[in-house]
Amino acid sequence: MEAELQRVGRAVEAELQRIGRLIHAAFPGRGLNPLRALDHKAMELASQDMELRAALFRFVDVTPACRSLDDLARHLTGYLDEVDARPPPLEAAMKMSGTKAGRAALGAAAAAGVRRMAHRFIVGETPRAALRSIRDLWEHGAAVSLDLLGETTVTEAEADHYAARCVDALETLAAAAPRWPGRPVLEADSLGPLPRVNLSAKVSALTPLLRPEAPELGREDAARRMRPVLARAKELGAHLHIDMESVDTQEATLDLVFELLDEPELRDGPSAGIVIQAYLRESPEQLERVIDWARGTGRRPPLVVRLVKGAYWDQEVVEARQHGWTPPVFEAKRESDRNFEVLTRRLLESWPYLRPAIASHNLRSVAHAVAYNRELGREHRELELQVLRGLGDDLAAALTQHGMRVRVYCPVGDLVAGMAYLVRRLLENTANESFLGEQQRGTPIEELLAAP
Amino acid sequence: MTVSEHTTAGFRNEPILELRRAPARESLLAALRELDAKLPLKVPVVIGGDRGAAEGIDSTDPGAPERLVARAGRASEEDAAAAVEVAVRGFREWGARPAVERAEALRGAAARLRERRLELAALQVRECAKPWGEADADVCEAIDFLEYYAREAIELDRGRPILQAPGERNTMRYVPRGVTAVISPWNFPLAIPCGMTAAALATGNAVVLKPAEQSPGSAGALADALYGAGVPPDALALVPGYGDAGAALVRDPRVHVIAFTGSGAVGLEILRSAAETLEGQDHVKRVVSEMGGKNCVIVDSDADLDDAVPEIVYSAFGYAGQKCSAAARVLVHEATADTLVERLAGAVNVLTVGQAESFATEVPPVIERESQERVMSHRASAADHLAASAEPVPERGWFVPPSVVVGLPEDSPVNREEIFGPLLAVTTVRDVDEAMDVIDSLPFALTGGLFSRSPATVERVAARSPVGNLYVNRGITGAMVGRQPFGGNRRSGSGAKAGGPDYLLQFVEPRVVTENTMRHGIPVE
Repeated sequence: MEAELQRVGRAVEAELQRIGRLIHAAFPGRGLNPLRALDHKAMELASQDMELRAALFRFVDVTPACRSLDDLARHLTGYLDEVDARPPPLEAAMKMSGTKAGRAALGAAAAAGVRRMAHRFIVGETPRAALRSIRDLWEHGAAVSLDLLGETTVTEAEADHYAARCVDALETLAAAAPRWPGRPVLEADSLGPLPRVNLSAKVSALTPLLRPEAPELGREDAARRMRPVLARAKELGAHLHIDMESVDTQEATLDLVFELLDEPELRDGPSAGIVIQAYLRESPEQLERVIDWARGTGRRPPLVVRLVKGAYWDQEVVEARQHGWTPPVFEAKRESDRNFEVLTRRLLESWPYLRPAIASHNLRSVAHAVAYNRELGREHRELELQVLRGLGDDLAAALTQHGMRVRVYCPVGDLVAGMAYLVRRLLENTANESFLGEQQRGTPIEELLAAP
Repeated sequence: MTVSEHTTAGFRNEPILELRRAPARESLLAALRELDAKLPLKVPVVIGGDRGAAEGIDSTDPGAPERLVARAGRASEEDAAAAVEVAVRGFREWGARPAVERAEALRGAAARLRERRLELAALQVRECAKPWGEADADVCEAIDFLEYYAREAIELDRGRPILQAPGERNTMRYVPRGVTAVISPWNFPLAIPCGMTAAALATGNAVVLKPAEQSPGSAGALADALYGAGVPPDALALVPGYGDAGAALVRDPRVHVIAFTGSGAVGLEILRSAAETLEGQDHVKRVVSEMGGKNCVIVDSDADLDDAVPEIVYSAFGYAGQKCSAAARVLVHEATADTLVERLAGAVNVLTVGQAESFATEVPPVIERESQERVMSHRASAADHLAASAEPVPERGWFVPPSVVVGLPEDSPVNREEIFGPLLAVTTVRDVDEAMDVIDSLPFALTGGLFSRSPATVERVAARSPVGNLYVNRGITGAMVGRQPFGGNRRSGSGAKAGGPDYLLQFVEPRVVTENTMRHGIPVE
């Protein structure tokens, strides 16, 4: 038994190294687009200096609330003023802010920069506006999950509005999807058809009543609004994915999904999914709970489980430390990466009760999933790989080139609504130990694929 | 004797319960069931270790007024005098003990509270209708005060470094003042009496504790913890009672320090009464007085409303607005006023009003019928301006619907007086400077809030704001011991900062000794 496990381990590792190199070799070349090069430059500056990083993020964050170019410029220089060592381009910006005309020019340039950055991560202001980008991706071999960005829901009206946006997004996509060309890899696995229309939704946006200490209150209120969204998805043959947010809402989220999907009128559709966050110390137990549920329910089609690292790391750690709690997340990236592989294996082993979706930009994590899927004797199409729009574009291109099933998570919304998302993505992209950072710095493939 | 050896370095705030976890919630509900089986608690007057009869004051559940939570003795003016008499004696022995020994007793009391923390939180749920999260936080704060002042007192006992010249030795030390009367409120039924009592005891004073008549149960638990940890019966008396007992303590010529937290009216009366030096009184009384507020939150045009709305709602309506730090007014920039009011109103409309024992409850009943009537009358006076109200509220219990009123005339009493209930007034201002003018025109200066993402605005408001505690881009309640030393200025308080490095100075008097170290013209050192 022990020897067999070691053999499998070695076989997977060897296959992983091979696949990782193949994917890496397929990454598109860069540097052709000057605007993109500029973004890289800005991110590089931000990665190098924590103070500067904080200043730039605070500026991006306040942009939609500024009332004029002058106001924008004043905020920008206010933040830069707190940075001790300013690189030359920003020193020049500080000098410009001395005059009204200078501030107008600075404000305009900064606003354009933020809009460009936002556009990289956000596909459009509305689902309709995003249709062209979505179709482009589809034609290039990548499916999409649409995510509706929104402000924090604090009122009933905001929750109702979000639910209506979900239905509108489903209908808009469902009306357009039949005109997309056939893409067999994206449209079925051996368990059955895969919907062309795929929407990700957040429980916290569906109710103003989510309270960490009283999960049932928000759960019931969100269920009331999610039921019609699920019903509409079922009518349209669409997939609805319930995103996972911070630990404060995880109990309500998981309970809600299990409760709704077991209701009689939803037991035969729509296709639905949930998320497991590998940075959570308790994620192995959570996954077991999901597996138990999936084995016990007779529901079809099978639940999709999206495995992610988790995007609320800073928030979880700071909140826990302020309260004197043990952080619920692994504090070392290496531990999260290791757990990601453990959960990947467990998830793939749970097929066909669960459909696995591995969402990572870490080349090793992705290659590991592909290798283990192969070790289990399955084809590429039984495994979905997910990336984020704007962060995982190169990876998506490389994966589709190798015939893998890729889905791009595409946020939709205006700049105000998208700001929290944008800042989280920027944080991720400029974190020193992020995979993307390493890749951009030209870290050798051996290191990129080294076991965590 | 260097600053780096400061003994509070080892202090850490007691972690609050992680109520987002179901097992933590279940443990509290179990503690509540156990407590319910024991009610009513008996809280006698305790003087010199003699426990009197526990009758005279009934404390009831604000959410179910027929439920008797504690039956307490009612201290008379004579009891107050007797308690001071014993404390004068107790002071001689307690004040002479080494600071380290006194600190050990306080830390022992902290350990006893820690052991009973679930039960003590449950008691606040019943006796004061404190929702669980806040009840638990109050118990933690009480523990924090004991741990923090114990360490601070050891530090203070070392004296302060002063200049030395050849041939002389100068020392500055701090000694206890004497008998301290602690007069405490019901809204933080364990933490506030504990903080004032712990500060007095840690520095070597004897204490006569007169808790609010609405919450004798928690005060009884505090006294038990202190006695159990070795505070001598003569150094601490418990005299539950009404205003007459408190007034007798304040007047007593043998009392040195009066530590009071409560309403402005009572606080000013205490200051007046304590200023009178009676025949035979050999000292000037020191009054530490923490009074009310009319706390304002400024929302600038660049504020992040996703943060501001929930934080304002919690600051204004958490514990039904019955915190001296609670938000009473919002002063919002005209550019963002409409959006803020709409979102704030929507958020208030969905507040969960209910019994404190339910984890879903965000707004519990107010403490008593008189409070309910006061808040309702203010609310009625502003009825034409009502923008939001979470209704209906339960019939049983002293409930008040949490409400937002918008655009009242500046001189409306709802804009000017402390209401101490779930009523929030929103006023639109041209800019932050106009908001600061409004704040300047109020007699209070306890807490304040600012939502702005401009570093320049934050600095400008911080420089000009008169309040004792200014919170930027967060809620304005929930000061933590050691992290946010708490207390108000102007007519909100005497400026002592509870839970901070200066607080103990209120309870001691400084003495300087200068010794000539020359002998026959030769320095012997």
